[in-house]
Amino acid sequence: MRGFQAIADVSEFDAAVAELDAEEKAVIARVVADVGLLLGGEPFAMEDETLDDDEDPLFRHLRGLETALSDPDDPAVLRVLPNAAPDDREVAEEFRRFTEPELRTLKVDRLRTIWRALSDDGPTWIVPADEALNTAAALTDIRLVLASRLGLETDDDAANLHAEIDRAHDAQTGAYAASAAENPERVWLGMLYEALTWLQESLMSYVMRDDV
Amino acid sequence: MSTQPLIASDVDVATRTGDVWITLVWNDPVNLMSYVTHVFQSYFGWSRDKAERRMQEVHEKGRTVVSSGAREHMEVDVQAMHGFGLWATLQKSGE
Repeated sequence: MRGFQAIADVSEFDAAVAELDAEEKAVIARVVADVGLLLGGEPFAMEDETLDDDEDPLFRHLRGLETALSDPDDPAVLRVLPNAAPDDREVAEEFRRFTEPELRTLKVDRLRTIWRALSDDGPTWIVPADEALNTAAALTDIRLVLASRLGLETDDDAANLHAEIDRAHDAQTGAYAASAAENPERVWLGMLYEALTWLQESLMSYVMRDDV
Repeated sequence: MSTQPLIASDVDVATRTGDVWITLVWNDPVNLMSYVTHVFQSYFGWSRDKAERRMQEVHEKGRTVVSSGAREHMEVDVQAMHGFGLWATLQKSGE
């Protein structure tokens, strides 16, 4: 995986491009589609596509994610569509009533756009300049959902997750005896979260290259 | 600054107590410092320097006030922040 950079041939069009292999693209496209479903969107699929990946061990963890996300009371939804007035129920409810459908549509449409970009063939993820901020916003929504699933409530939780992944990685390479506490699904989701964080950070460097 | 006298309706709005609302943006462990800075710049039209200072305030103090005014305007700002995935709330000023 290589993070986003401005496309080399600027004469063509202004865009950021990241390099991802087919598996990385498939994993990210799948989690994009799952978050779209969570937010109430129609399933993302090409017209002639059949979702036949039941035997793929890679997707077993994601299927768990999808199931957990289908619950309308899922706290992940509250991270993406938070309470606008925690101390004033009337204001909060009115805000949700008037803004939530529009916000869900905005977020689902944005996710669908990047899902399509990830479904293109080839080892790249191309983001046109005028889609870059929308893509970063969609990555934020995905990371909010994963963070909810991972129980990241504070800055310390995020730092601890990183340490946890490092320990799991050391265990794999034999430098550390794995403790029973390290849950492979959690480590896997944590690595996905960190990869998306890294991709978003590289995309922001592109977006902010001329900010003054 | 304009020296033109305020028209009556402006005075009404400005002096009615409890009419001023604020939009707050809260810290969360997910949003990137670079992203929050850029959202502040692009939505509020702030310089990079100002946007970075306000982002730092969110990060260090847990929250910052990003706008104030009529409730309907604050609702627009909160909706925009939620659109970007930032955790924003609105409340009456002074509460």
